[in-house]
Amino acid sequence: MKKKIYKLVQFFVLAALMVCLSSCGSSSEKVDFSTQIKPILNNKCITCHGGVKKNGGFSVLFEEEAFADTKSGKPAIIRGDASGSELIRRLNEDDPELRMPYEKSKLSDQEIDLLTRWIDQGAEWGEHWAYSLPENVEVPAITQEASFASKGNSDFLKNNIDNFIYARLKNEGLQPNPSAEKNSIARRLALDITGLPSSQKLFQNFESGKLTYEELVDSLLTKPTYGEKWATWWLDLARYADSKGYEKDMGRSIWQYRDWVIKSFNKDLPYNQFTTEQLAGDLLPEPSVDQLIATAFHRNTMNNDEGGTDDEEYRVATVIDRLNTTFEVWQSTTIGCVQCHSHPYDPFKHEEYYNLMAFFNNSRDEDTPSESPVLKFYSPEQQKNVDKVLNWISKNGNAAQLTTYKNFLQFTEPVYKSHFFKEFKNSVYDDHASVVFWDDGNCVIENGYTNNASYVYLNYSSHYDNTKMIIRDGNAEGPILGQFTINKTKENTTSQFPIKRIDKKTNIYIETQNNAVAPEINILNAYWMGFIEDMPEKGKSGFRAVNAAFLGALNAKTETVPIMAENPQYMKRTTQVFDRGSFMIKTDTVAPTTPGSLNEWNTDWPQNRLGLSKWIVSKRNPLTARTLVNRVWHQIYGQGLVSTIEDIGSQSEPPSHPALLDWLALRFMNEHNWSMKALIKEIVMSGTYRQSSESTPEMYELDPENELYARGPRIRLSAEQIRDQALAVAGLLSSKMYGPGVMPPQPDGVWKTVYNSAQWIESKGEDRYRRGVYTYLKRTSPYPAFLTFDAGSREVCTIRRTITNTPLQALVTLNDPVYLEASYQLAKNTFQAANVDERIASAYKKATLSEIEPATLSALKELYENSLNEFNQNTKAAGLFLRFEDKPTPELAAMTVVSNAIMNLDEFLTKA
Amino acid sequence: MEELIKKLLQEKLARETQAKTRRHFIKNCAQGLGGLALSSIFVGCDPLGKPQQKSQVSFSERDLNPLATLAPPFGPNVKSVIYLHMAGAPSQLEMFDYKPALQKLSGQDCPQSLLEGKKFAFIKGTPKLLGPQAEFKQEGESGNWVSNFMPHFKKVVDDVAFLKAVHTDQFNHGPAQLFMHTGSARLGRPSIGAWATYGLGSENQNLPGFVVLTSGGNTPDAGKSVWGSGFLPSVYQGVQCRSEGDPVLYIEDPDGITRDLKKSTIDAINKINKAEYAKYADPEILARINQYEMAYRMQIAVPEVMNINSEPENIKQMYGVEPGKESFANNCLLARKLVEDGVRFVQLFDWGWDTHGNVREGSIDLGLRNKCREIDRPITALILDLKQRGLLDETLIVWGGEFGRTPMQENRGNTKMAYMGRDHHGDAFTMWMAGGGIKKGASHGKTDDIGFSGIEGRVSVHDVHATILHLLGFDHEQFTHEFQGRNFRLTDVEGEVIREILA
Repeated sequence: MKKKIYKLVQFFVLAALMVCLSSCGSSSEKVDFSTQIKPILNNKCITCHGGVKKNGGFSVLFEEEAFADTKSGKPAIIRGDASGSELIRRLNEDDPELRMPYEKSKLSDQEIDLLTRWIDQGAEWGEHWAYSLPENVEVPAITQEASFASKGNSDFLKNNIDNFIYARLKNEGLQPNPSAEKNSIARRLALDITGLPSSQKLFQNFESGKLTYEELVDSLLTKPTYGEKWATWWLDLARYADSKGYEKDMGRSIWQYRDWVIKSFNKDLPYNQFTTEQLAGDLLPEPSVDQLIATAFHRNTMNNDEGGTDDEEYRVATVIDRLNTTFEVWQSTTIGCVQCHSHPYDPFKHEEYYNLMAFFNNSRDEDTPSESPVLKFYSPEQQKNVDKVLNWISKNGNAAQLTTYKNFLQFTEPVYKSHFFKEFKNSVYDDHASVVFWDDGNCVIENGYTNNASYVYLNYSSHYDNTKMIIRDGNAEGPILGQFTINKTKENTTSQFPIKRIDKKTNIYIETQNNAVAPEINILNAYWMGFIEDMPEKGKSGFRAVNAAFLGALNAKTETVPIMAENPQYMKRTTQVFDRGSFMIKTDTVAPTTPGSLNEWNTDWPQNRLGLSKWIVSKRNPLTARTLVNRVWHQIYGQGLVSTIEDIGSQSEPPSHPALLDWLALRFMNEHNWSMKALIKEIVMSGTYRQSSESTPEMYELDPENELYARGPRIRLSAEQIRDQALAVAGLLSSKMYGPGVMPPQPDGVWKTVYNSAQWIESKGEDRYRRGVYTYLKRTSPYPAFLTFDAGSREVCTIRRTITNTPLQALVTLNDPVYLEASYQLAKNTFQAANVDERIASAYKKATLSEIEPATLSALKELYENSLNEFNQNTKAAGLFLRFEDKPTPELAAMTVVSNAIMNLDEFLTKA
Repeated sequence: MEELIKKLLQEKLARETQAKTRRHFIKNCAQGLGGLALSSIFVGCDPLGKPQQKSQVSFSERDLNPLATLAPPFGPNVKSVIYLHMAGAPSQLEMFDYKPALQKLSGQDCPQSLLEGKKFAFIKGTPKLLGPQAEFKQEGESGNWVSNFMPHFKKVVDDVAFLKAVHTDQFNHGPAQLFMHTGSARLGRPSIGAWATYGLGSENQNLPGFVVLTSGGNTPDAGKSVWGSGFLPSVYQGVQCRSEGDPVLYIEDPDGITRDLKKSTIDAINKINKAEYAKYADPEILARINQYEMAYRMQIAVPEVMNINSEPENIKQMYGVEPGKESFANNCLLARKLVEDGVRFVQLFDWGWDTHGNVREGSIDLGLRNKCREIDRPITALILDLKQRGLLDETLIVWGGEFGRTPMQENRGNTKMAYMGRDHHGDAFTMWMAGGGIKKGASHGKTDDIGFSGIEGRVSVHDVHATILHLLGFDHEQFTHEFQGRNFRLTDVEGEVIREILA
């Protein structure tokens, strides 16, 4: 809810200075496009002369447009000739019908003067700072002044970050805060790195001097809890959830992706690789299982299982989401605008959107309920079958065959799913799940390809014996490719039937006959039909066993995770521009390319997602490293160096410390080699970070957002952290990692989803006390206490959780049984202490790492006495309150009330 | 404690005012210098959509209490909205849109010309037309048509204004509900109620500003996103008040804890937080002190307002309530109590209106009649009750579904349907509004003879939104919020106020 006022003040003061410098100085002084002209164009002109509207055929969005002929047949800007330029003439026009901006107030004299001089000086077009990255940045030299040391903050300068921060502080005439106390900094650091409070032991080692600050940092960075903390942030960006979203919102098994993120953070997978594996792990040579799991990043898109929905419509929605998310996550750019028209402000063109979309338009997934392709995890026993097949092919076949079979065994693609089937007769498209055949039923796969294979693979469940299925080339009269008998199955089965080999695309005609069954009765549900190239050496001895192993593996029931897989050549989709963003109206066909205003494409890169990922993590990309650095900074300080962390571009806020942003970005790529741990360490090692966050009303007024960094960060903890911390200080938190989402207690009746019988089944044992990152997240109904503390439902990419402060939050930490149980445990653990004062002080210290102040102690003691009094008077109350306890005493009940109050203190809920 | 909070607030307000004056000066100064006034920063993030008013908005009040009341820019017609959504989409052809010609054509093949280029959720091939399954009469002085499925409704027919030709481009429940409530079929946009509370705050600080009540056994198809806050702060999302369990999650004190003890707890917390403020000067601490006081009051106010037992017997009968159960009738009575207590936006969802004809409850002739029975009396009572309390003029009631239903009988994929049913249909359906600022007894828009398409007075979902915002005192084109570099509105880039139904 805070406002960016101070930033404005800063900007206006700076801007005022700039104007003064430029207008007070010599009029021949060079006008700078990026800082002086572009803001005027963006604010005063671009709404009518930009990406959306090009009134009069004039646009100032792109250089070539700005100098092109307008509708009048002449350009509006003539380089070097302001007086001859229609633009300037229109700005000075007296007739309100002709004067620009139309129906708005006239530009100021200074603005017109700037534009005039700019044109006279040759109207040099420049690039916005966001779209180019400097090659190096110099660290400001700082000379410490006497006053600096005398204020007790002589140790502010810890690393180069501080030089940048101090340079600006000095300009503003401000001094940094002294360093934070050891307990404060230890708590802050542990929360920032691991998301949890520091263990008492680690803190004692630091407090006693056994560990230096740097050793404390290093020790925290090696904890597995580090990965859990930072994964929580990344999973918001990745829109990770345990359900598919939309109406039915069925469960989805994709937790292996969450675990992959945690593991990747913990092993400090370099960010460029982290990026490539998520965007294109499947396209890497010989991808590992982990690299395939990583691609689930883009399988976190929603899947619409609602009856009557069009798979193609929602497949396209998914592709659009992938593109938008990729740009939001890696480029701080809202490319979504460009779906319907050229970007209103940023230099991206309408067609470029579809060029980008082409990168994502050829993955196999198709919004089907099965979510295919899904990566299968075979048990060691099942794996024996897989190995048998792959060994055979390695020995007898070629590399291409090996890949085909490996893929088919890993994720059963490519296959034709139900929506490929058309022209139903006595057969029914059973709403995107399957095709239902009746007696004398038929339908076709239009323009299908049998891959010149000798077998068809059919996935089906059959409800009767002796159904004859005939497959023909073309139509009902076409030559028979295969005919076979299908018997009743107990469950969904994949079978192999022989067919004649044909090497061409054709309509594959399928018919069923079973006259023992009455008309219009469902004989069988067909889920998919697949044709893959034959296995080599079918005649060789041992083949039968291998083939049986293959079918065994195809029918194995396994754990799965949805992944990305690319279309084979014969299934490739072309990508067309959608007229005004509507997928129903398609126009020009486009190829996959990246926007012209960003870094160049290297022709060595493949024109697919893998190439795109390389383009993103190219050191020449001006946005990737800045985006990451800015967001990591935001995680730690509660705001970015560019405060609009969603947007680094023409409409974003200017950076508070432009040189620091670039310096960190360059260092991240070139010196830290994309190591996120190194980046985080650099930030937390700075004197800037280690300042006390204490402040005064005057300081707050001067810099409410702390964008000058004259004090340490102070931010409310996230939803997950609040719960994790309560469990941790109570000694309840489980350290168990990984696995399916868990269901800690939540009130009854929260889940009520249509056509979905899934239940919230309360987890047992330690699963009730796992970290928030493992809590099952159902998109249409997330864990309510997290929602209240501003966690989202992860339906789409969430870059920022807006922090709110509401009475409903108070109700959670006061009344939710989770916090009561934690309070009770915290209380119980203090009972070794001799007296009430010591117990309260000990609970307080466990919660905050701080020694209790006398005033705090007296307030809590008063509460304790009031409570004790009540519980003594009403003897049953303690038993009702402490339902976890066999022997509820009034003392324990009163101490529980006090512990709960501690867990509701601002100090506890906030990182300071 | 109250005193302390007040004092702290006053101190903070004073500081803010000081700061504001300075900001104001610098802003004007910068504008005067020219070329540098980033006016776009001021436009957009302003709930009132008026840049020059930005500096007038009290930052501090909103900092401390995001639901603090704000006046609308254009003076409101109404203070509160009660939005009644029939999830699943009710059949306009059996309720309000009388089509005698459809009766005559019943059983005939639907003309191909109507089917060409159309997509239906389930209908395949050529379906047959299906005449109205209810009987219609003209009612009241307005002479508007109402079917015998809604026998009570005739008492209030002269209070409502019908929209007979609403259209939507979505024909699946989830996306259509999202579109109807957020202006977008995709997730991520704020709901109407969120916009309203963002723009106006709430009149009662002891209750949530935006309350959601559900009935029919399920939450809506689109899930909680239909009352979500999208990119607005989460404090503006709807709070679901439940008929079973805690009316608001965690509102009840734990067993064994008395109100006095809760008060002592909050007093202790706030006392220590006050000392915290002295150390850190972070206004968030003041906000938290405030929120804890509010939470305490809310714990009393919410159960009180959610208790319908205390209502007089005649009122209970009027609505047909069933205390202790989850019912639409209970929710209508609760809606009245909530707006009476100053809640800004009350959203009712009643699930079970999807009448394809595949099951008995989902049939046009049987199931729909039952659903109508469940809503007829309570809706009539709600309008009459608000009227007798003088609240109807300051309350807007909106009724509708996410789309309408086809004039054709559903023929799902070659199978015979067990019951009479109609498929989803977005081309033309009926909604109505009643209350403050609405022309009584009006009927706007007309569909063709079989009710397939609107032929006069077609209005879009965006138009409906523009009208609701207009009645709340906003210009829908100026009421924006900046997110990811763009100004977003409830009505996206469309929408016109439906003047024909305004008083």
